[in-house]
Amino acid sequence: MPEVVANGVRLHVQRLSPQHRLLTRAQPVVFIHGLGMDNMSSYYYTLANPVAQAGAEVVLYDLRGHGLSERPRTGYRVADSVADLAALLDALGIDGPVHLVGNSYGGIVALSFAADCPHRVASLVLIEAHFTVAGWAEQVAAERDRIETAVAGARRSGWLDQLGRKVTRLLAMADELINHTTFLADLKAVQPLPASQLRQLTCPVRAVYGEHSDVIDYARELDACLPHCVLTVLAGCGHSVLMDATAALRDIVLDWLTTQTTAAVR
Amino acid sequence: MTSEQVLADVRAILIEIMGAEYALSLDIGMETAFEADLELESIEFVKLSTMLAEHYDDRIDFVGFLADKNLNEIIDMTVGDVVTYIARCLDGTHAVTVDA
Repeated sequence: MPEVVANGVRLHVQRLSPQHRLLTRAQPVVFIHGLGMDNMSSYYYTLANPVAQAGAEVVLYDLRGHGLSERPRTGYRVADSVADLAALLDALGIDGPVHLVGNSYGGIVALSFAADCPHRVASLVLIEAHFTVAGWAEQVAAERDRIETAVAGARRSGWLDQLGRKVTRLLAMADELINHTTFLADLKAVQPLPASQLRQLTCPVRAVYGEHSDVIDYARELDACLPHCVLTVLAGCGHSVLMDATAALRDIVLDWLTTQTTAAVR
Repeated sequence: MTSEQVLADVRAILIEIMGAEYALSLDIGMETAFEADLELESIEFVKLSTMLAEHYDDRIDFVGFLADKNLNEIIDMTVGDVVTYIARCLDGTHAVTVDA
C-alpha cells in the first residue's frame, strides 16, 4: 500500500498518473477530503479518475486519523492538517504550485494552506467548504452530540448488532477517532481564519455549494471576502454535492483546470 | 491468462484485504457484488485497485476503467466486471492506450 511519512505521521497516498494529454501541462491536483467518516475514496469514486484521465497528475491522501492513514492520538487542529499537507508535498517532491480541491473540512485546509503558503497554490476548488468562522466550535460540538446520540440509541435498541460489516466498521472507526484521540477537542479549539486574511488570498478560487446546504451561508461569506471567487450554487443539492451532483461537479472541475492550465502556459 | 486465473488472483487479494476469516466465509465468484455481497468498504476498494495495479503492473489501466463510470456503476460492480476487464487487458483485446 502506498504510504508516505509526513510530519511524523504515516499517510496513505495515491498518485494517479496522466493517461491523456489534455491537461498534461496542468500543475498537480491534490484532493483533500472531509472529516469523520470521510476518506480519499469519496474522490476516488467521483472526480479523481476523470481528472487523471484528462491528463493531470492527481494526488489523493487520507488525512491523519482517516481512511488507511495512521490514527495518532493528537494533532487534529487545522494547523496540523496544513503542516501534514506541506510535509506530504515535500515528501512527494512537489515544490511547485498545485491545485487544491477541498471538500467540506478539506476546504478549510485548502484555504488555510493557501493563506500560509500562497506560493505553493495554483488555484483552489472549494466544494461545500466550511471555513473557520465564529460559531465553528459550537457546530463541531453539535455534530458530536448528534453522532453520539445516534450511536447510543442504535446500541440500546440492539439495532447496531444487526448492521452489516461496512457500517459496523465505519462506526468503530468514528468511535476510535471521537473517543480515543484529541480530534474533537482540537477542532473545537480552532480559531477562525480572519476575514482580513481571507481577503488577502490572490489565487484563483472556484467554489461550489448546494442550494439546500446547511453551510450555504459560507458561500455568501466567501463571495463577500473573495470578490474574484467564481461561485456556483447547484440547484436542488444539499451538502453532499460531491455524491449527489458528481457529473456537474466533474464538468466544473475539468473546465476550471483546463482554463487555469491554458492561462498558466500563456 | 484465463478469467479463472484472474478470478483466483482477485479472490486472493480480497482475502488479504478483508481478512481470511470473513472472506473465506463467502463464496466469492464472478457474480459477487463488492457492495451488496461483500460489503467492501470504499477505501478497501481503493486498496483493491492499488493491489491489482501492482500485481498486473502497467498491463491494466484502472484510472481509465473507472473514469468512464459514474458512482452508482462503480458501487454496483461485481467481481466478474473487474475480472473480465483485467482478462481483456491481458489478452490484448482491451489495449491500454495512451493518446498521442
